[in-house]
Amino acid sequence: MTTTSLHEWLSKRAPLARRLVPIALLSLAAAFATAPARAADEIIIGASIPLSGPLAGFGSFQKWGYRRAVDEVNKAGGIAIGGKKTPVRLVLRDDKTDPNATAANTESLLSRDKAVALLGSCTPALVNAGALVAERKKIPLVTACNPLEAFKSVRKWTYVWDLFFHEPELAALPFKALRDLKLETNKKVAIFHDNGPDGQVVGGTLWPNMAKDAGYDVVQNASFPIDNTQFTSIVAEAKAKGADIVLIDAITPQAVSIRKQIASAGYKPKLLVIEKGAEPVQFAGALGKLADGVVVGGYWDPSFPYPGARQLATAFESETKLTSSQHIADSYAAAQILLDAIATAGSLDPEKINTAISSTDKTYVVGPIKFDENHTAKLPLVMLQWQSGKTPIVWPADRANGKILFPVP
Amino acid sequence: MPALDVILNALISGVLLGGMLALTALGLSIILGVLRLVNLAHGEFLVAGAYAGLFLLQWTGIDPLAGLALIGLVLALIGYPIHRFLLVPLAGKGPEASMMTMFGLSIILQNLFVLLFSADTRAIDRSYANVPLEFGPISVPQIFVMGFVISVVLIVAVHLLIARSRFGRDLRASADQPQAAAIIGINVSRVHAFTFCLGAACAGIGGTLIGIALSFTPTSGASYLLTDFAVIVLGGLGNVLGTLVGGIVLGVLQSIGGLTLGDGYRDLVGLVLFLAMLSVRPQGFLGHRA
Repeated sequence: MTTTSLHEWLSKRAPLARRLVPIALLSLAAAFATAPARAADEIIIGASIPLSGPLAGFGSFQKWGYRRAVDEVNKAGGIAIGGKKTPVRLVLRDDKTDPNATAANTESLLSRDKAVALLGSCTPALVNAGALVAERKKIPLVTACNPLEAFKSVRKWTYVWDLFFHEPELAALPFKALRDLKLETNKKVAIFHDNGPDGQVVGGTLWPNMAKDAGYDVVQNASFPIDNTQFTSIVAEAKAKGADIVLIDAITPQAVSIRKQIASAGYKPKLLVIEKGAEPVQFAGALGKLADGVVVGGYWDPSFPYPGARQLATAFESETKLTSSQHIADSYAAAQILLDAIATAGSLDPEKINTAISSTDKTYVVGPIKFDENHTAKLPLVMLQWQSGKTPIVWPADRANGKILFPVP
Repeated sequence: MPALDVILNALISGVLLGGMLALTALGLSIILGVLRLVNLAHGEFLVAGAYAGLFLLQWTGIDPLAGLALIGLVLALIGYPIHRFLLVPLAGKGPEASMMTMFGLSIILQNLFVLLFSADTRAIDRSYANVPLEFGPISVPQIFVMGFVISVVLIVAVHLLIARSRFGRDLRASADQPQAAAIIGINVSRVHAFTFCLGAACAGIGGTLIGIALSFTPTSGASYLLTDFAVIVLGGLGNVLGTLVGGIVLGVLQSIGGLTLGDGYRDLVGLVLFLAMLSVRPQGFLGHRA
């Protein structure tokens, strides 16, 4: 195309271009003008949770808990913002059990979905990845499913709040139960733990220290990558050393594999504790009778004397036809705390919502919640044990609704 | 220093587990050897086999070990349309196109598993998988022994099929000189289709054993794919008996690694071996294709 012909071409099309410019500008203006209007029509809450990958078992419960809290608010007409009842919309994104995806999803929830506040993922690696984004963007995030020491160790939080159990309390459970229930063992302990943040804290530090303090002998302490599949060597070593007590901290796929490999090695410890991985119902689903006798710390049960506890489990089981999990309760409570704070703030201003969260002082389905200076609220623990597909409380005595199977069948 | 019986148990477990690993790698090996295709969806074929075993048990009550042939057939039937409609159209377009297609398929299959079966951790619950076989101080998981025997039988059967049968002759010709094979009347595309189906069937059977012995999720395939690459590089690309040798060597060395460094270092041992073998003896222990 020559210079002359280019000039002619431009001249011919200039009127069209001139007509298109104002249309484009109007479209842009309309886009910007409609964004705040949308935000005022609904309150958008975002959450990146593990709906696939190894932690999907937790994510499905979180999804249900978060949704139920939002649905209840919407059934009541929504939350009053500036005097006008506004519905809440929950936007969920799947982080595929990948912290990088959690961080990216959290960015998207804020920039693309225009979330005004956030709910957390599950386990320290995932929750902390999203929480750091929220903190940087100064958007309030309420989470559960993140043990408190692992949460506090990241930084001094301003916009992120965590309600969950405290690792030292969890780590102390087996030793307190052994003492209170007068369970006879040879006092030899084997510890297997993954090298994730909470695995290191519980298995690498707390359990060995507490075992020593309680007069037990730690004969083995083995760590492994989170996605390890083979445990024959560590199981053989624990068996050879004759440990009556095996304490494990691992996610569900590894927990299932370890339990099978303990059995297939002909190793029969008297007390078998599997934290984290033995929590979801899928653990017992995958193992069948082999799950019986496995002990796991619990922070909630439908029998707890808190408002709505029994109804929550009943609603879950009638809706999903699945056995309820404690994770429905902490996720439901986290969402309720956030929604209550938005209602108290009466505004979508992140600072006002954050201030309202800090003033939380109410009994929820998981118990009384009041955040301390570290932005944490501690949930008291009980000891659960898998027995025929159910998890009765076997310790402490004042909350127990079942008798411990000891030794492990 | 661990006790002698612990060391012996670890070594024997390593041999047995290595045999099972060889079976999981067999499908990858023969597809690579004949089709020159790096099947990046191989891990998902394993997981599909594990699901097939699980649902065979749940829906019909048939023990997955008794139904291994049926599971292999199902996976072969799944493999055929994948080859026919995804890979055949890419013939002559270079190895990258097929490889990336299988990578895309692996992601689709992972998501399909989540959609159809949920992302839950599963295991095939069989009582014989949870007991040891004991000979004096030696105690090994019974399922490892059963898996090893099945693996050896299947690998030897596939070896005999390739080395002794008329089809095997066609297959070897198609693998070495596909154009020359076509000129002398061998239906190369049919041989390729059958090989792909055979590879998928072997993966399915291997996956069922994994499901019985360990656990699996929709995304478990990726970690087995890595291990399987190490097995076939150790044994020799496309060499069926070499796959068995590679699996056993890897299993034993991983067990030694687990015993001395901890089970967390098993995969590291495998990957270091993989890289070392590639640089020192890239043709593997047995050094030639079947």
